[in-house]
Amino acid sequence: MEVRTFLGGAHIPHYKSFTEDKPITRLSVPKVVIVPLSQHLGAPNEPLVKVGDKVEVGQKIGDSQEHIAAPVHASVSGTVVAIEPRPWYEGGETMSIVIEADESMNQDFVPKVEQNPADLSKEEIIAAIREAGIVGMGGAAFPTHANISQKKAVDSLLLNGAECEPFLTCDHRQMVERPDDLIAGAEMMMRCIGAKTCYIGIEVNKPDAIEILSEKVKDREDIKIVPLAVKYPQGNKAHLINAITGRNVPRGARSADLGCIVRNVGTTIAGYEAVVYGRPCYERVVTVTGPTVPKPGNYIVRIGTPVSHVVREAGVENLEEMKVVVGGPMTGMAQANLEAPVVKSNTGVLILPREMVREDVEYFDCVRCAKCVEQCPVFLYPNEISIACENDMISKAESWDVMDCIECGICAYICPSGRPIVKFIKRVKPEIKKLQRSRR
Amino acid sequence: MDNTQGLIVSSAPHLKSDMTTSKAMKDVILALVPVTLVAVYFFQTYALFLVTACLVTAAVTEVLFRKLMNKKATLHDYSALLTGLLVALCFSATTEWWKGALATFIAIGVAKELMGGLGWNRFNPALFGRISLILLAPWFVPLNSGLSAWSVNLGTVDTITQGTPLAMLQQGMAMPGFFQLFAWYPGGAMAEASALAVLLGGLYLIYKQHIRWIIPLSILGTVFVLTLVAGQNPFYQLVSGGLMLGAFFMATDWVTCPINDRGKIIFGVAIGVLIVFFRLGLAATEGVGFAILIMNAFVPAIERVTRRASFSAPRAVSIPLPDKGTPVSK
Repeated sequence: MEVRTFLGGAHIPHYKSFTEDKPITRLSVPKVVIVPLSQHLGAPNEPLVKVGDKVEVGQKIGDSQEHIAAPVHASVSGTVVAIEPRPWYEGGETMSIVIEADESMNQDFVPKVEQNPADLSKEEIIAAIREAGIVGMGGAAFPTHANISQKKAVDSLLLNGAECEPFLTCDHRQMVERPDDLIAGAEMMMRCIGAKTCYIGIEVNKPDAIEILSEKVKDREDIKIVPLAVKYPQGNKAHLINAITGRNVPRGARSADLGCIVRNVGTTIAGYEAVVYGRPCYERVVTVTGPTVPKPGNYIVRIGTPVSHVVREAGVENLEEMKVVVGGPMTGMAQANLEAPVVKSNTGVLILPREMVREDVEYFDCVRCAKCVEQCPVFLYPNEISIACENDMISKAESWDVMDCIECGICAYICPSGRPIVKFIKRVKPEIKKLQRSRR
Repeated sequence: MDNTQGLIVSSAPHLKSDMTTSKAMKDVILALVPVTLVAVYFFQTYALFLVTACLVTAAVTEVLFRKLMNKKATLHDYSALLTGLLVALCFSATTEWWKGALATFIAIGVAKELMGGLGWNRFNPALFGRISLILLAPWFVPLNSGLSAWSVNLGTVDTITQGTPLAMLQQGMAMPGFFQLFAWYPGGAMAEASALAVLLGGLYLIYKQHIRWIIPLSILGTVFVLTLVAGQNPFYQLVSGGLMLGAFFMATDWVTCPINDRGKIIFGVAIGVLIVFFRLGLAATEGVGFAILIMNAFVPAIERVTRRASFSAPRAVSIPLPDKGTPVSK
């Protein structure tokens, strides 16, 4: 088997054994969901309902006139009880529609259509995906319809099944359990973008997914399964393109400029369902896990479910000395309270004990051990960057190419002095952006 | 369930590796245990006494200087103790204790703490301390008589009267067998008692990934090739003097060696060339120490010329066809 990868990167223990064999199951529907009005990158949405309205599962409740925007939908049937700012998993608050579930109403989505994507035109497929509010579900949250309706000639569709972050297994389970939907979704997207070949990149720590999908496509030329080395951040877009196609991804280039469109496997399946059944993005698969979690698993969670509900359903009683992370352990967000809801781009809810987690309590000077430089997947010098950022030496940080940083977290993970390098970088980047804008 | 109770909140990434500076320093000290034990076996109380003197001085100097400079104590990172041990191993066991203590004081106080503490020093502190003592040699006579009341009589050890193998090499004297010299031959500094023990420690550090193999290999390889070309027995050159200790423990010091692999090769080869020049061209003592210190000064320049381009830097390469990724295995 030929295994591909990129240069650099880190081998981080992947802790996937808690959930990698757990079939996808449904989490209970919460009494109240908080649906943030805008869960995508792009123009903000306006609410389409008002307080007191009755809504059904899958009903569109927020949208925008802009092209780069994705509507949001009710994830339970019930009554809108508030439209107000509510906590957001990345911190702060965001305008949200709060819906109280009505137990007398049907809480399951009822498909209104069933159509074959082959009978639909490209435009109809793209419109259906937009209407369903599909966004990048690997974490990026970029509206999928905008991504697949570009005019540029694209030769390859790359499906991202690397799932390189530790703990996460939601993409893995979807590939294993729904290979046919994934392939049908891939065909549909290839048609939309005019790609001749689809590559499904999967890290080799998911042999069952590679085997099942390879079996499904063994007689076809147009879809290829690409085994990837288990290395973080293999699932980063630029590194996936580099590993699979050998193409370099210069700064500022969009993947379409390189003849590629990259989509997450979960997004592809969601897009397929959106077209076939008109099923909007009102729920998603979330990996709920941690070494001490009584009931870890890959759960289908309604969008807007408070993190506290997810944590409780996984059997976690005591959160003393725990860190609750939404997303992956390398790039996700630690939660200060558990009021924030799960949104479309959230891959995981992790409950990690103190022994395991990094804390920003104490750090020391850089000892130039070179570990961060050896492993930086963007070939930067995190040692120099961290010193420059720590002391607010903005132009020095810029001269060390800090703007190319993808914030993958390897440097801070590996640092023997415990330096919060990514935190430093995140603080300095907006300053540099301001500086660059003023120069123009 | 209270939703905020006891939650830990800090920035990403949320995982940490199990490596810390103090663990690494402890591992380096552990890697020096074999050669220290060999030295203690040969030189007995002399070795023990000198090592203890240097370790105590290291700890006291570190605490004193951090206090004077109003900084948090950092004794727990073990770097000061490691420097103390390295300084001791660079001296012959019969060296007066105050010379070892003075060298350690200079190493920790001047070369490390006055430069800004661990991470900011340009020169390897242990070597800086050791080499300073050579420059201070004219003061030793008055100092020695002044401090004679403080000297400690440790009796005699019979193995210590031999000449150092390197001096014997340079003077063309009859040499002991290679394997004896490699494994077990007292003479010169304590660390020179067994190149094998130093090598074992160095390999342990490579195995634990605290150091990379590049610098030791470039130094030893360069010395081997150049001495072979110069008509010397390269095997004798490799196992005598401070070469092993320098290649595995001094030149690989995190703080004072280049960051990049390319830089490490330039650094190692240059040290090798200087060592051969000092040994064959000048017949100087402490050639390894001088070579490493000189190259320490060139590290910023090496870093400048070996800087690599960002992954996202535009490259003047056309887009290859699909299927041309980077295969790592078949």
